[in-house]
Amino acid sequence: MEGSEHIAHSALPALIVLLPLFSALLVRPLGKWNESVRNAYVVVITGVTLLMTAGLVPLIAEHHKITYSIPAIIGELSFTVDSFSMLFALFSAFVWFCSTLYSLDYLKHEKKRDRYHITNLVVLAAMLGVVLAGDLITLYVSFEALGLVAYLFVVHTETDEAKKSSIKYFWMTVVGGFALIGGIFLTYALGGTGAIAPIPIEHTAPVLRWAAFALLTLGFGVKAGMLPVHVWLPDAHPVAPSPASALLSGVMIKAGAYGIFRTVTALFRPELGEHIAHELWHFSAQIGLVVLWIGVATMFIGVVMALGQSNAKRMLAYHSVSQMGFILAGIGAAGYLGTHGALGYAGGLYHIVNHALFKGCLFLGVGAVFFRTGSLDMYHLGGLWKKMPLTFLFTLIAACGITGVPLFNGFVSKCLIHHAIVEAYELHELASLAVAEKIYIVTCGGTACSFIKLIGLAFLGKPKIEYGPEVKDAPPRMLIAMGLLATAIITLGLFPQIVLNGVVAPGLHTWGLHSDLIAHYLEHSFMSMADIMSVVTAFALGFTIFFVGMKFGLFHLHVPKWFGVDYWYRKTAVWFIAFCRWIDEWYEIYRHNISKLLRWLRFLVTVVTGSPGPQDQHFVQQAHLLLERERHATVCHAITMAIGQSREHLNEKSDTACQDIVDAVRDIASDMATALFKERFGVVSDFIRNDHTDAIRDVLEQVVSSLSQARETIGQTALTLAQKHIAGEDVGPDILATMNRILSEEHFDQRLREAVPHDLSASDRLSQTGHDALGVIPLATQQLSTYRVEGRDHLERAEEWATAYRVEGHNRLKRAAAWGTNITRIAVVSVTQERVDWMTGDRSGMESVLHTRRQIQRYARDMSFNIAVLLIALLIFLAALANNL
Amino acid sequence: MESQLIVSNILPAAFLLPILAAIVVVPMTRLSEHARAIGLTVMCLGTVVVAASFIPGILDGRIYEIYLLRLTPQIWIHMRVDPMGALFGITASVLWLLALVYSFGYMADEHHKSRYYAFFMLSLAWTMGVAYSGNLLTFLVFYELFSILTYPLVTHEETPEAMAAGTKYIIYILIGSSFVLLAIVFTYFLAGDQTLATQGLLSMDMGKANLIVIFVCFLIGFGVKAAIFPLHGWVPDAHPAAPAPFSTVLSGIMVAIGTFGIMRVAFNVFGLELLGQLDVMCYVQYLAAFTIIFAAILAVNQDNLKRRLAYSTISQMGYVMLGIALLGQEAFVGALVHVTNHAFMKGTLFLCVGLLIKQAGVHNVSELRGIAKKMPITMAAFSVAALSMIGTPPLSGFVSKWYLGLGILEVEQPLYLAVLLGGALLAAIYLLPIVYAAYFQEPEPAAGDDSVSATTREAPLSMLVPVVAAAALTVILGLFASTPGLPLSLARLAAKIAFH
Repeated sequence: MEGSEHIAHSALPALIVLLPLFSALLVRPLGKWNESVRNAYVVVITGVTLLMTAGLVPLIAEHHKITYSIPAIIGELSFTVDSFSMLFALFSAFVWFCSTLYSLDYLKHEKKRDRYHITNLVVLAAMLGVVLAGDLITLYVSFEALGLVAYLFVVHTETDEAKKSSIKYFWMTVVGGFALIGGIFLTYALGGTGAIAPIPIEHTAPVLRWAAFALLTLGFGVKAGMLPVHVWLPDAHPVAPSPASALLSGVMIKAGAYGIFRTVTALFRPELGEHIAHELWHFSAQIGLVVLWIGVATMFIGVVMALGQSNAKRMLAYHSVSQMGFILAGIGAAGYLGTHGALGYAGGLYHIVNHALFKGCLFLGVGAVFFRTGSLDMYHLGGLWKKMPLTFLFTLIAACGITGVPLFNGFVSKCLIHHAIVEAYELHELASLAVAEKIYIVTCGGTACSFIKLIGLAFLGKPKIEYGPEVKDAPPRMLIAMGLLATAIITLGLFPQIVLNGVVAPGLHTWGLHSDLIAHYLEHSFMSMADIMSVVTAFALGFTIFFVGMKFGLFHLHVPKWFGVDYWYRKTAVWFIAFCRWIDEWYEIYRHNISKLLRWLRFLVTVVTGSPGPQDQHFVQQAHLLLERERHATVCHAITMAIGQSREHLNEKSDTACQDIVDAVRDIASDMATALFKERFGVVSDFIRNDHTDAIRDVLEQVVSSLSQARETIGQTALTLAQKHIAGEDVGPDILATMNRILSEEHFDQRLREAVPHDLSASDRLSQTGHDALGVIPLATQQLSTYRVEGRDHLERAEEWATAYRVEGHNRLKRAAAWGTNITRIAVVSVTQERVDWMTGDRSGMESVLHTRRQIQRYARDMSFNIAVLLIALLIFLAALANNL
Repeated sequence: MESQLIVSNILPAAFLLPILAAIVVVPMTRLSEHARAIGLTVMCLGTVVVAASFIPGILDGRIYEIYLLRLTPQIWIHMRVDPMGALFGITASVLWLLALVYSFGYMADEHHKSRYYAFFMLSLAWTMGVAYSGNLLTFLVFYELFSILTYPLVTHEETPEAMAAGTKYIIYILIGSSFVLLAIVFTYFLAGDQTLATQGLLSMDMGKANLIVIFVCFLIGFGVKAAIFPLHGWVPDAHPAAPAPFSTVLSGIMVAIGTFGIMRVAFNVFGLELLGQLDVMCYVQYLAAFTIIFAAILAVNQDNLKRRLAYSTISQMGYVMLGIALLGQEAFVGALVHVTNHAFMKGTLFLCVGLLIKQAGVHNVSELRGIAKKMPITMAAFSVAALSMIGTPPLSGFVSKWYLGLGILEVEQPLYLAVLLGGALLAAIYLLPIVYAAYFQEPEPAAGDDSVSATTREAPLSMLVPVVAAAALTVILGLFASTPGLPLSLARLAAKIAFH
């Protein structure tokens, strides 16, 4: 690099970025304490930032390039400042200062002022970070911060309109950010190092090269309001508070322009000093041409859209789009012209500065009108020049700037861009560029027309509404802010050499380009007749469009909404979400089918193994639960009785004795209840095994609920045996005897059989009410016991089966096999279990708890199986290993 | 690079401390809630300190190890700390510490607290064991213990949903474990017992078919845990069912253990060269890429917050898998560092969701309009983590995606960039509407719920501290990523060894 001896280190760039960033921390505490102190604070901070930025000027003049880096994220954040970066930083800090000054009064009507000022400082830091960045990562980090934090500007008023616009803004920023990082990745793929310096692209695939360029341009272009990704801008800029609009439109979109500028003129250009080999500039020229045309299209469509607006801020926002087109055209021409692109550089950069100044001033002016009148509709205002003379004056100056009236700044930059386009045409005599030049003049005419409209409708003419006494000139601080900007507009219009000779020419020199053309322009073309004539042509066109348009109402024409890209973006987004939903639904169906398949498999397993079907399985679980609950209730009952009894004799016995009795009762009762449970469950199992599931399904619950007699008996027995148990005697025989008694009294199997549907009388009565059933059952039991006494032969066939089964019993092998199928079944059941059942169930009820306990038991059983298998596998393996040694 | 082996006697403390904590948690309960909280925190902090104490040495190129138990003359329980394990260990222990502290508040009114804390600490022990295991058998032992003994945590709520999710979990995991067992037995058969440090235990002369079978078994086995499509089914069910602090480690570490297993398999069992010859990794790449996009698309449509985050986890683990499967040094750095970064990002998100559930009773995305006014700190932490998940600089998610991106370019497959960015864009689509709704939408004027929403307020400090700490880690791991000692340096070292 030829300028390497000029590179110096200075912490100033880093400080410029970090100062507003860290200052933002103090805004909230100060704002809570005292608003005026906070106001002073933010103005001082932006002022100091501006001064520090100005401090870069002598440094750059001396060293041409300064760098600094701070360790952060991956490696470090580096800052490199050359003349161009300095130029961006300077005007950004300046407009920021003016806007902040202006915002103090303006925000009196707004809420959340602290949030505004925090956002203000953070975004300032991000903006300066973008333009001072020394490598692509730092650039990207700042750029994302800028885009995302500025969201708070857009949404600040929190009206419905602001929220709607902010959503669009946000998504486009996010998508733009992804495009940008994709582009940055691709520059690495092309062999870049991340530095903002020429990438050696000669030997890379053209596809990759173009993809990188397209992604970078798209990423930066979203911010810059480039066509066709400008759609967020006309929505988002007007809804922000006016000082924020001025920043969004005047400064922040320049972050995008800066990115495109660096992409075209730094990344995709040959190494410095290679400007002799013209073929190396080929790609650079091609992308220059693309950018130039994007610029021309953007400026034209932007201005056409602007003409159709009645909301002043919206109109200004469309002009931001259009003016970005001018800038892009300048940058594109610079890229296209390669080594001789000085006029393009100068025009693009100068217009960037100028646009920041006059667009900032215009937004502040219109904001002042809104501040006083509460209206932004140009067609409803009028005659304000009398009421707000200074505001009118400053707005007029800014309008003169944007329309390119000689002696105002816009004139110089527009002429420079015009010259650049003409030169681009002359380079290869591309006919299309001649067309571009014509479009350029027409666009200038449209711009003139727009601002004739603004000034003519809002400030001149007769008032269309009655203004109250509150409509007077803006407060002094707002006027000072606008005045500063207006002064700058005039200064830069009168003395363009300040920027052109002071900044652009040395900058070009640093990058190894000729700057003679600029000197030539300043000497010969500045304020030349030809240039002034082109402005006159533009104004003539502007007046024509204005009068024709006003007469025929052309400004109120609206194109169908499908005509705009916005409509299609929205559609795409909606379609995409619908697509996601569709995928999800499809996936659910797929899952459903899988579970169906598993259920079918389970059916197969059922058929093959002969194990009970799924419904039976469910019933077994229910029955188990029911009986388990009964068991639990029995033990509880016994304990309650024991406690009751020991309460009665509390005086006689000590606490420990009571405790002992209760414990003993618990032991005995739970022993008996468990035995009873097993017996009963065996009965139910037999029924199920003999295919009587359906028969007892409905009645089981009732029958079980009629078993309360056993509870009483067990409780009594436990109480009587408790003393014996405490004494250490063997209570086994007694328990056995009682159990036999209970079982013979209870006749659980017979009760069940009683209840099955073919004994209609019994089951009918049973199903009436619990009380009735209780009365009926002893009767039925009695009857059946008679049967029993008479002999088994007379019993129904079903009982024979059952008995036979029980007598035969399970041999161990069968049990093991059943257990195996059980595990499989449980696995399958669990996988295919329907959610609906679970959801409707009672979550904290006894049933759920018992159920859970069962599940955990089951888990333990299965787990032990798994671990056993694992262990066996390991043992075999170890044995095998040991054998081998 | 030659590394210096050092026998470290404090190494077993990394998993013995949590085991001790689990054992004493029951007697401590009798003492007082407070004593238990302090005791557990101290033990967990001790684990963190042990894990952290290895880092300086590791960065100097040292490797710590210890042989604990001799099973047969050849097979030892062998613990070993290399950069990969050290990174995983410190991540796990820190996240566990945060989740533990959070649990004290979150679980205060829950049942079976002793069971919960005991298994919670035990699972930390097994995780540390997995991270620091020096050979495949040790790995298997801890991996199995971990897989099986986390069941009581998944089903802790004991609601039917939790039980169903738990059953699903255990079936998936057991099937996965069986495959891992099979693969490990096969590997032992072919290669015998060797330390997981060499450039691969297996070699081409063992038969290509054998090697592919082993690889597929490993892939299926660990893939279940790492939730690669189509083995991800348990993740979206297990997360909503588990208590929030356990969801945090479930998402942050447990799922990542699967990817950690695959890293071990890829770089220590097979080795770079062999994988290149086998030519299997491209299929893993396809699977990972598909997982990233597919899971993210499914996440967009989930209304249940935890389910949405669970799908997000599947998608993010796809990134890790992709980073491994690309077999590039930078991509591997990205994968490793993404494990850590994801742990804290997703940890933050789950902890925040836990607070939303606890404080506001909000389970679904559609219910949290305007909640940021009531719970500003929670939602601020949530936003930070969400932005990080998308890859917004300078947060930690950006760092990992940056390295993954560089890795993709390093192996010259720029199409995966579209997957990388597409997944991130989808992350924006499924996470940012939550943030937007919480901050800028007005709460629905529902008649009955007014009293509920009126009482909603920020969580107590004990729960906020871990949330804020996790969010702060997300920022720190991004902003100061290149500081030596932080995950990036360890990941770089590990990648350097793997790609030696």
